[in-house]
Amino acid sequence: MTTESLSAGDDAHRLLSDVRDLAGRVRRDQRLTWVALLVLAAAAFAAIPFDWLFMKVRCDGGGCMFARRGMLYYWPPALLLAYAAIAVSYVRAARARGLGARVLPYAITGAVTTVVFTAAYVAAAVYFPSHPPFGGGPMPFWWIVLDRLIAPWGLIGLALLVLARLERNVALLLFTAGYLALVLLVLPTTDGMDLPGWLPSFLSGSNMYLRLSMTLPQLITGAVLLAGGIGFAKARRRQR
Amino acid sequence: MTAETDTPGPSDPGQSDPGPSDHPVTGLDEVVHQRVRLGILTITHEARRVEFGYLRTQLELTAGNLSKHLSVLETAGLIDIEKGYEGKRGRTWITLTPAGNAALAAEISRLKVLIARVETSRKEQN
Repeated sequence: MTTESLSAGDDAHRLLSDVRDLAGRVRRDQRLTWVALLVLAAAAFAAIPFDWLFMKVRCDGGGCMFARRGMLYYWPPALLLAYAAIAVSYVRAARARGLGARVLPYAITGAVTTVVFTAAYVAAAVYFPSHPPFGGGPMPFWWIVLDRLIAPWGLIGLALLVLARLERNVALLLFTAGYLALVLLVLPTTDGMDLPGWLPSFLSGSNMYLRLSMTLPQLITGAVLLAGGIGFAKARRRQR
Repeated sequence: MTAETDTPGPSDPGQSDPGPSDHPVTGLDEVVHQRVRLGILTITHEARRVEFGYLRTQLELTAGNLSKHLSVLETAGLIDIEKGYEGKRGRTWITLTPAGNAALAAEISRLKVLIARVETSRKEQN
């Protein structure tokens, strides 16, 4: 009986280990993480000229007021197209390998977050000019983080978290955690970045300065997504 | 589960029709509790939908051997097999039925119980 139960236990161990190994192989074969990141990087870079061209800036002695209309014109359709392109790429690649795809929840999350961004942006544009948050005084940090979270760059990170969960992809989870920390806590994606002091002084206080200060965080975000895409593509090539 | 059922060769009839009977010692379902068939169910569950060629490559089986295992699972109502064409190329797609999903989940939980039972008895012996 002892011999029998020992061999049954070892056999069960081996079978469970085979199951985990096979499941892991299928998940790796279904992944196309690098494509998702490259598409999102392209979307982030393409947003820059829209933001630049359609930004309304009004400066006076007390400072500058700005409205980023380009974000509303560009991001909702761009995000929907990006998520559709990612979903189609995943399905086609998985099908070519002889597998089904599990990307649909990611595309749905992406589409839902796009609707959330659009609604929040329109509501803010309508409501806040007459009712400035916190009486027009300094905003608490949690408010700034929330503002960055519902901006397109934050929502891209949220959707990537869903993708990491679907793919059970620890590397993507770590990348996304770093990305979210960057766009939520470090980069001033929604209110512009201080520019280096070596820039020509005539830019200071001008429309150009404000536009540049908004462009820099977008360039960094796009570069991080691009670097992630290249990194995942190289890692995949090495695995094969 | 014996060594023979672990490594079905080309002459192996794919355990042609063990039927949904339980293992006399472990209580495991013999249709599912077989390395290749458990592999088929695992891959199909994970992939949602899998093509014959992918299964053959991953499980390192001959086409004939894989077909026999698939027909055992299909007869037991655990998978659906759909044949079609992509261009001029014939393709066979396999999906898990709800019964297949349930059988896989049950098998995995039985394996875990079995492992826990064996480990407990080992600890008691020590």
